[in-house]
Amino acid sequence: MSPTAWGWLVLGFPLAGFLVNAFGWRVMRGRTAGWIATIAIGLAFVCAIGATVSLLGHSESDREVTSSLWTYASAAGLDIKIGILVDPLSAFMILVVSGVSTLIHLYSVAYLDSDRGYSRYFAYLNFFVFSMLLLVLAGNFVLLIMGWAFVGFASYALISFWYRRETATKAGMKAFVINVIGDVGLVLATFFIFRELGSFDYLTVFREVPQHFSTNSGVLIAICLLLLVGAFAKSAQLPLHTWLPDAMEGPTPVSALIHAATMVTAGVYLIARMYVLFEQAPTAADISAFIGLATLIFAATCALAVTDLKRIIAYSTISQIGYMIVGVSIGAYAAGMFQLMTHAFFKALLFMAAGSVISAMAGTQDINRMGGLRKAMPITSKLMIIGALALAAFPFMSGFFSKDEILGYAIHRGGFYVIFAIGGYFAALLTAFYAFRIIFRVFWGKPVPEAQELEHGHLAHAPPENPLTGEEEDTDVGFPGEEHHIAERDRPMWLAMSVLGFLSIFGGVVEIPGLDNVVENFLAGSFLDSKLYENLPTVAADWGGLALGGLISIVGISLAYFAYVRRPGTTAALIRRFGPLYKLFVNKWYFDELYDAVIYRPLLAVGRFCNDVVERVVVQGIVAAAVDVVRGVGVVVRGAQSGFVRAYALLLIGGFAALGLYFLIAAH
Amino acid sequence: MIQILLWLPLAAGLVCFVVPRRAVPAVALLGTLGTLALSIALVIGFNSDTVGLQHTVNESWIPALGVRYQLGVDGISLFLILLTALMWAGATAFSIFRMPERARIYFFMLGLAETAALGAFLAQDLLLFVLFFDLMLVPFWFLIGAFGGENRIAATTKMIVYTLVGSLLMLVAAIATAVLASGDVGHISFSLADLQANTLSTGSQYWIFCFFALAFLIKMPAVLVHGWMPDAYKAAPLPVLALLSGVLSKVGAYGFLRVVLPLYPNATIHFQEVILVIGVAGIIYGSIMAFTVTNVRLIAGYSSLAQLGFITIGIFSLRPDGADGSVLQMFNHGLVVGAIFLIVALLWERSGSEDLTRIGGLAMRAPVLAALFLIITLANLAMPGTANFMGEFYILIGVFQSKIVFAFVASIGVVFAAYYAIRLFQRTMQNRRTENSDSREIGLRDALVLGPLVACIIALALYPGFILGRSDTSVKTTIAQTCLTGAYYNLSSGNAATTKVGVRCPSNPFDKSGPPPQLFTSSISGSTAPATTTP
Amino acid sequence: MTVTWYVVLSAVLFAIGAGGVLIRRSPLVILLCLELMLNAGNLALVAFSRAHGNAEGQVFALIVMVVAACEVVVGLGLIVAMYRRRLTLNVDDMRSLKG
Repeated sequence: MSPTAWGWLVLGFPLAGFLVNAFGWRVMRGRTAGWIATIAIGLAFVCAIGATVSLLGHSESDREVTSSLWTYASAAGLDIKIGILVDPLSAFMILVVSGVSTLIHLYSVAYLDSDRGYSRYFAYLNFFVFSMLLLVLAGNFVLLIMGWAFVGFASYALISFWYRRETATKAGMKAFVINVIGDVGLVLATFFIFRELGSFDYLTVFREVPQHFSTNSGVLIAICLLLLVGAFAKSAQLPLHTWLPDAMEGPTPVSALIHAATMVTAGVYLIARMYVLFEQAPTAADISAFIGLATLIFAATCALAVTDLKRIIAYSTISQIGYMIVGVSIGAYAAGMFQLMTHAFFKALLFMAAGSVISAMAGTQDINRMGGLRKAMPITSKLMIIGALALAAFPFMSGFFSKDEILGYAIHRGGFYVIFAIGGYFAALLTAFYAFRIIFRVFWGKPVPEAQELEHGHLAHAPPENPLTGEEEDTDVGFPGEEHHIAERDRPMWLAMSVLGFLSIFGGVVEIPGLDNVVENFLAGSFLDSKLYENLPTVAADWGGLALGGLISIVGISLAYFAYVRRPGTTAALIRRFGPLYKLFVNKWYFDELYDAVIYRPLLAVGRFCNDVVERVVVQGIVAAAVDVVRGVGVVVRGAQSGFVRAYALLLIGGFAALGLYFLIAAH
Repeated sequence: MIQILLWLPLAAGLVCFVVPRRAVPAVALLGTLGTLALSIALVIGFNSDTVGLQHTVNESWIPALGVRYQLGVDGISLFLILLTALMWAGATAFSIFRMPERARIYFFMLGLAETAALGAFLAQDLLLFVLFFDLMLVPFWFLIGAFGGENRIAATTKMIVYTLVGSLLMLVAAIATAVLASGDVGHISFSLADLQANTLSTGSQYWIFCFFALAFLIKMPAVLVHGWMPDAYKAAPLPVLALLSGVLSKVGAYGFLRVVLPLYPNATIHFQEVILVIGVAGIIYGSIMAFTVTNVRLIAGYSSLAQLGFITIGIFSLRPDGADGSVLQMFNHGLVVGAIFLIVALLWERSGSEDLTRIGGLAMRAPVLAALFLIITLANLAMPGTANFMGEFYILIGVFQSKIVFAFVASIGVVFAAYYAIRLFQRTMQNRRTENSDSREIGLRDALVLGPLVACIIALALYPGFILGRSDTSVKTTIAQTCLTGAYYNLSSGNAATTKVGVRCPSNPFDKSGPPPQLFTSSISGSTAPATTTP
Repeated sequence: MTVTWYVVLSAVLFAIGAGGVLIRRSPLVILLCLELMLNAGNLALVAFSRAHGNAEGQVFALIVMVVAACEVVVGLGLIVAMYRRRLTLNVDDMRSLKG
């Protein structure tokens, strides 16, 4: 079968899963909906493999295959088709997306078992995977925008999955609005592209761009910046990042899937996909890289201070995506996509393990209340340590190879690009530190009561409440179910986690410098016209960078060990010493407060002003003024109706006399 | 067939007076369903490639005044007719399930209103159009005044007087048009085709345009002349409100495309930016109000204001893509807003309130209702993937290529739309249940009304080309003719350097000595040179 | 005798009648003055009839008398009814028609 036929199947299975779960939810008992959804995505993964194999059957320079199903709209000179593009980049993405999604679906089958909204969850989850695959496979800008928006909607639906929780619905709204801002950026970029080049189709546009635009032309920079607005909104980079930590209100597998492995990588995919535009407008690419750098340092600092387990991992995601953004912006496309893949593995694993831990802690997410869970949760702790090692880029883990390749490329490009490497290594130190902050805090130390209960074989239980605000809840539709599931007890959970653990350790073998370049060679088919793709550092330089990265990682882990295990009071002392800095980090650099003051409150004030002043005075004022004028005239005219009979008689006689005189005189 | 389509609703309404009480709902419903069937047949049988009107009727009516009884359908009005029939069928069915007292009057007025709306869309004679436009108001006076909520008399009086001011100015302008256009031809004629051929002098066009624009802007309503909207929307019964917001507002926008653009091209071009400003102001103001007020009817009303703003700027981008988008969006918005008001009715039945702060958590035992409401919400905020997005896409790409600044400002409205639409959904269906909220699943009968509407929304989302393909030819012709007659070249794609060249009409528009203007050139579709003939 | 004298007399009577209608406050007196006006008209009609030598004016004068009689019946009836109900007989106080 042709790659695009496989591509349509890849899209079809999740859509079918969504429809089955959406319409058939009333008749499904137990975990049926979960298995249907998982099998649907599993089939999509199989088809993704089929598409890749089929694509490899084409020659190296002929690996961009398109196909369209129907013409969506073709009036007034716009020609929009439902068409997909299967090339190495999209094949890579659908493999990662469908693969990791299958594992997360598997995990969710057990994790959400007692939830009353089980089928709804899996319907949305399948829809999300469908949208993400649509985004990646889209062959023209309009379909990209559609996939982009569907993903945003799915994210909203899943963040506010427990919809009776007000914190969740607020978080969902925030995520959705920021996503729409990104959508608008994309749409405006599309308008520019259409105005200049007259087409929406990727291949046509990419062919025309170098001929039509001069290097760094103003319009092209505008287009790229608008694309970046979209990318940064989706990938939670500065300044559009505030939705991601709040998105942790959703169930943990949702955080794993959407906010670690797939949706947030859409921005990275976008920049890589649009490489032709960015290489023709290097200024925009540099701006993108700088923002990525700023984000990765910013998020790493926040992860040092925040105390909610899921939010630490969320900031870590923002930081790691920053690496990927830097990677694809400076031209290290293969390294950036490779980092995307490994990050999906270990970040999903970390979230899954975090879900297990939170379940064991009966819903608490505050790491200050956790400790000593190592003995009670052997499987979870080991897998989480694997994930943290990969995150910290410990030597020979998958994260080691991917992250340091990006930084090596930055050094290789020279000039001011070295800044990215410096910043990247600094943040790598912080990353290693906070990764093991989590590990040592949660698993080392004196076991907390929940841990002790679990050691005796009893899973702790607590009355249902909102983990953030402590508000009371129940376990009916719209709130989490009563049971909590941990990896040690539920087979689907530890199975999924183990696969990811394996991939986190060994996932790096595909791209060892000097040995093999599987990812690089495979992706080359998508970057044929790139001037930066082939420009790679030497093997020795690569290993130099890797060695430096490995060293930094070991130093970071040791520092964390020192601070949390050896001398437990160290962090408290540091917090006291660097009070204001700590406050800055713990309050996420006050971004939320800033947006609240600068955007949210003024808008509400404008709204109130419009409602109270403009409506009342201006709009109704027009009506009231008209009424007053008419009434005034009426009052004047009423003066003649005095009710005074003799006045009427006078008018009668006078008028008649006047008429008579008029005719008499006129006759002469 | 057109004649039956036009008069069937009124006939059904009259029949309602003579049949026994129990048969009234059936008769009314049959009338609307018959109209719907005819309009579907009209759509299916429509030829997308014909330039000009199809299914024409041309009878002499008042020869002394030059008024003819002329009807016709083209791509612009085709889907508005379908929308009218669809919305009226839905509203009638919804009303039947909640039988009003004095049902005979109610259904007769509905029938009369439907005929009037259809007449406005079908009329090809200026005075006939004005007649139907004003006739539309009469049944709504009764429907709101007799069947509405509190403050109904004051609200409906306000609405009628406000709209009538515009309508009477429009009547004056219409008569002036016919009289002035007949100046050198001899006999007076109100036929749109004749008036289009004899364009007026620029000076007359300006003031006539202002009167027509005022009438249509009041109808839609547009910002600053929307004073009648809050009261009328709060007082009207909900099925009637669905019709008011869904269909009647479109007559205003349609009027621009049918009457103003072809007949007063110079004025259109002269006032283009003014109307664009009004449109964009409406988008921003409507959106801001929509996320501020707490009365759900007003939220829908102000969001309507914003959407009509989009439709207006699409028309006044004076490009075929912008106008195509407007035609598509007219249908979409009518469908969505009608559905929203039906949902508001359901919300009210479940919570006894129309205030956001008093409703909440209704989705708990009503998953189907929540799902339908969610789909409607997504359509309302024009999420990409829905037909509403395609409409907005076309509109904005038209405005973008015509006057780029307005497109950027209008895009802010898109972000606001997301906020107010989701806010409405969340505050009513999600969060904690409020005391008087009774989370009940949607009933079968209501689902029978709402279901097909949602199905239409989804079907269009999959293939908006259905509407765009059929309306394209007529829209292109209208815009091309307007730009050509007004000597307005609006170029874009190809080379960023060749932006528009606005050329004022020559001083003697009655100079017919040159070659006649090309009615339909293939050039106004994207990237080629302007037509070389100037009138 | 020319017709002028009669017409002048008619005019004077008419003016006296009109003045009375405008000045007097009692409805009965107003009615009397009204009669005076009507009869002044009659006088003019008869005078002209005599001057032109045909009977048209006189016939019309008879018609006017009939109308006057009817109107007096109604007017007097109203006044008597008002008197019987002890309503004011001052025209200035009848202001219900005030707008």
